Amino acid sequence: MTTDDVVQVEGLVKWFGSFRALDGLDLHVARGEVHGFLGPNGAGKSTTIRILLGLMRHDGGAARLFGGDPWRDATRLHSRLAYLPGDVSLWSGLTGGQCLDILAEAHGGVNSARRAELAERFDLDLTKRARDYSKGNRQKIALVSALASEVELIVLDEPTSGLDPLMERSFQEIVRERCAEGATVLLSSHILAEVEALADRVSIIRRGKTVTCGTLAELRRHTRTRVHAVTQKEPDGLGRMPGVSDYGAERVDGRIDTRFTIHPADLDEAIGRLHRASIDTLTVKPPSLDALFLSRYAPDASDTPIAAGARGEGT
Amino acid sequence: MTGLGPLLRIQRRTRWRSLAVWVVGLIGGLAATAASIAQLYDTPAKIKSYGDAVVSNALVAINGRVEGIDSLGGIVQDEFGFIASFLMPLFGIVVVASVTRREEESGRLEALLAGRIDRRAPTLASLVLVLAAVVVTIAGFVASLLVAGITASGAVLYSVALGMLTLVFATLATVCAQVVLHARGVYILGFAVVGVSYVLRGVGDVTGTDWVWLSPLGWVEKTAPFADTQRWWVLAIPFIVSFTLAAAAVLLADRRDLGGALYRPGPGPAAASRRLVRPVGVAAYVQRSTFAGWLVGSVALAAVMGALAEEVIHAVLGNPSLSNLVTFTSDDAADGFLALTQVYLAIIACGYIVQALGTLRQEEADGRLEPILAGAVSRRRWLSSQLAVVIGGLVVLVVASAVVFGAATALSTGDSGYVATLLGAGLAYLPAELVFAGIAVAVFGVAPRMYAVAWAGFGAATFIALLGHGLQMPQWLLDISPTTHIGNPPLGDVDTVSLVVLTLISAALVITGFAAFRRRLIPQG
Repeated sequence: MTTDDVVQVEGLVKWFGSFRALDGLDLHVARGEVHGFLGPNGAGKSTTIRILLGLMRHDGGAARLFGGDPWRDATRLHSRLAYLPGDVSLWSGLTGGQCLDILAEAHGGVNSARRAELAERFDLDLTKRARDYSKGNRQKIALVSALASEVELIVLDEPTSGLDPLMERSFQEIVRERCAEGATVLLSSHILAEVEALADRVSIIRRGKTVTCGTLAELRRHTRTRVHAVTQKEPDGLGRMPGVSDYGAERVDGRIDTRFTIHPADLDEAIGRLHRASIDTLTVKPPSLDALFLSRYAPDASDTPIAAGARGEGT
Repeated sequence: MTGLGPLLRIQRRTRWRSLAVWVVGLIGGLAATAASIAQLYDTPAKIKSYGDAVVSNALVAINGRVEGIDSLGGIVQDEFGFIASFLMPLFGIVVVASVTRREEESGRLEALLAGRIDRRAPTLASLVLVLAAVVVTIAGFVASLLVAGITASGAVLYSVALGMLTLVFATLATVCAQVVLHARGVYILGFAVVGVSYVLRGVGDVTGTDWVWLSPLGWVEKTAPFADTQRWWVLAIPFIVSFTLAAAAVLLADRRDLGGALYRPGPGPAAASRRLVRPVGVAAYVQRSTFAGWLVGSVALAAVMGALAEEVIHAVLGNPSLSNLVTFTSDDAADGFLALTQVYLAIIACGYIVQALGTLRQEEADGRLEPILAGAVSRRRWLSSQLAVVIGGLVVLVVASAVVFGAATALSTGDSGYVATLLGAGLAYLPAELVFAGIAVAVFGVAPRMYAVAWAGFGAATFIALLGHGLQMPQWLLDISPTTHIGNPPLGDVDTVSLVVLTLISAALVITGFAAFRRRLIPQG
């Protein structure tokens, strides 16, 4: 953690009645990064964001936004950020353009040239009444409103819900442009591809707790590489090699069919042993965020958080 | 406060139409009342005759005890009393609920509060908005009263007192909006307080006790705008109460979470019951709170008025000029009073119908109709289930109110015959009430976005039914309201031909609505 963190959340606790929605959550967003905030439905992503925006109070732990108190200094801090809520609701009788004006009035700092440009890129008709918009178009209005602001931090809560793949790509381009200009983005999502495409660092939460946090490279290092090889001879001592697990070998048509997962650091050694056994075919699946994500989400997954740099359990 | 300005501009943009309708409607209502009364009571002798006539506990219970009833202004205050007792509070409650809790419920407030808008700003903005509307209304009231030839100081005091009434309930609604989760809850709490205030004021006025002072409606009355000695200081009470309530609301708003409330219901069942999954069951679920609210209001009015029947008979015996009452023209003032109350009950039932069928529109606009019609439920089955539930509710409402009204009247007068008489009278109004069901279904079928037309029809009918006779409107105007055609039971005889005609009209309207609903685009948001 550095003092330059835009968002600093430590041990955050929030109760809704007798339900502990946040259970000691940690989140650090550094200036200038796109931070992916991943978690299954109901994990506490929106609650955390609402606390950061001073829309809700927290019951324990600490939350700082731009170094300030998100509840007490709410309006002062808000002039430095833009927000796309998870549930977009517009004024049904007003046109899309009028809704944008209203949101701009509340937030300030909207660059109107950029707004027009974004509306164009999202293929939005601003003269339509909000009630006549489809879900995707309502989402686009909210996206234009959030992405057209001249702010330091953009908070996006499930931004691409309802968007078609084409618009999703436009969205990713625009986010990258904003980052190139120095904006920090907190991107809450449960869509891995989107986070993988955009995020520099990721925090994965589950049941109100941070399970994993780190750069994508770091996270990949914690996941395991999946290897499938067919060799002429039985590879020597591979099953007992450190870092290898889920090992299985069988004889198929006179060859040895071997499958295992391995920690990336031990890959070189393992491939060497396979090589010595004369490789016929070899498939190496690189670690994906999916695997990590699913392992963290699995109902029987451990609740123990792992710090970045520590060894993950893999799949 | 940060964000108050932007929020006000936003509200002005999204709300000005409904605010304008309220302000124009209220001013128009008072202006029409004052103008007609000035025309009817154009000599001091006529004015005096009115004063002599209404010194009855029965009318005091309904309209309030008006000090200075022997003046033009006093007559206006008396005639406008009943309508003002409900419309002025309603005005405040509706505006505040829609600006605060409704916006929060819809999720629109979240996007705004994440901007440079203080979390107390929505509450304050709603009050500023109400205050501005009230100031305009007061100005309009004063102008209408002056035009009718009513003294300036009385006109100003009366108008300000009415405006303060709206403010008291508006500030009350801002507190309610912190306590409950939904705008509907704000309405229910607010209306409950209106009902209690009305009863407290009525009981206090009839018994001549200090109960009146506990009721915001009583504060209007106690300013005595048209009496020889006005009590301007009484305005301080609603002022202090409003200020305290507003301060409490702002303090609460500053402390709570977005989407939070002091009271929130616990978890419910994980599965729908057998009854709930059928279209009728869903309709009943959607309607239950609306129905409960109107039922409580109607039964309470019936009970209070029935209990006062004995007082009326005494008043009639002691005061022969009561038979010249402007609101009815029979020798039997007891029956006249009961007939008048019956009209009020019928109006309540019509209001229930219009609001209950308005939820159909809400179901469609909120997107809940689409998935249901996409399933195995046909349009006709859905609409008929909804209509059946609402009309079933109407019958229960009418019968319950009539039975309570009859029983209370029988208890207070000792004449058990009233139970049957008043049940008959209550049921006789059903065809008139069904006309509103017809109008509502027809509007929903033909032009769902114009559902306000049904409300406008209800407003016009209410105005005619409550004030038509007092203001001696021409017969053609009176005839517009379906309630006119029933025959004013139990005072007059029920007009059976009209009942048949009204039923046929309702049926024709309902059929039109069904036919149009089968053909039109769904959803029309």
